[in-house]
Amino acid sequence: MHETGIAAEIYAISRRAADAHGGGRLDSVKVVVGELSAIEPDLLAFAWEAITSGGPDAGSRLDVEWRPARQTCAGCGEVAERAAGTWLRLCPRCGGALRIEGGDELDVRDVTFEEAGERHP
Amino acid sequence: MTQIDVKQKVLAANMEAAAALRAGFAASRTLVVNLISSPGSGKTTFLERTVADLKGRLRLGGIEGDIATERDADRLRRHGIPARQILTGGSCHLDARQVRQALDDEDGALSALDILFIENVGNLICPTNYDLGEDFKVVLLSVTEGDDKPFKYPAIFSKAALAVLTKVDLLPHVDFDLPAVRDQIRTLNPEGRLLETSAKTGAGMESWYELLSSALAKKRA
Repeated sequence: MHETGIAAEIYAISRRAADAHGGGRLDSVKVVVGELSAIEPDLLAFAWEAITSGGPDAGSRLDVEWRPARQTCAGCGEVAERAAGTWLRLCPRCGGALRIEGGDELDVRDVTFEEAGERHP
Repeated sequence: MTQIDVKQKVLAANMEAAAALRAGFAASRTLVVNLISSPGSGKTTFLERTVADLKGRLRLGGIEGDIATERDADRLRRHGIPARQILTGGSCHLDARQVRQALDDEDGALSALDILFIENVGNLICPTNYDLGEDFKVVLLSVTEGDDKPFKYPAIFSKAALAVLTKVDLLPHVDFDLPAVRDQIRTLNPEGRLLETSAKTGAGMESWYELLSSALAKKRA
């Protein structure tokens, strides 16, 4: 389980971004996590809670935007639909070989924070 | 409340350290291979056999990642090559900064090589994310681990340029659906290579050496 280390990186990036804008307490951070990033979103949210608890950013939210990988056909261009966690062997339309695209995202998208001196409710 | 766009890779710091390593390996013209598998797949035995067979014609070295013990680096040093153990102290993967430190600590012994093997911590998940400046990743899977692993761990099987099946000498003794595994690996990585090997009998090892030689020649072209 390396979600703790990943959450710590996300926290450092977010805090730095807020600080650079004179920001105060973090409200929420949005991350994009791909299906092939080897990250479990639930564990990541749990690690975020553990890392921020007891500090100035306790109670802030980590929102995960999940990105599935796409299987595309080199022959007919079809983007094959599939159930989460399953993989298609061949293109359902033409029987051609499929390629996997995307799904390896692991990015901090945006950071929402209070203005310095803003009082949180 | 203020919202700002960040759009930054979470692992940007590691990627930067890995890029610096890669530049160094390009300058020394060292081929670097990052080996990833679950514990007990036979990574170290596979490397020992490789080193025993190739050390006469190539300058080899190893970096061994483990949570505890110097055992794996000792095993490689016994074959007469330089090897550095990285103890991660509980961490489940190696990162680029640790590799940099290991190279510095060895004071040049791991810097003038033909091939540097980095044996990652035994784990099919966490090492996937961390670029170590390698030329390519190898994922190893032993036939005793079960034939559903590629689809269970799609991230590493889709990213490794080479998948190595190990312990194929045991195939007659285990229920391992080899065609199904070939199929899963091909599905996740249509351009990847698959080698079926036994470090014990030597089966498939020549193909591995040819692949290394051609990757090294390509790097030095």
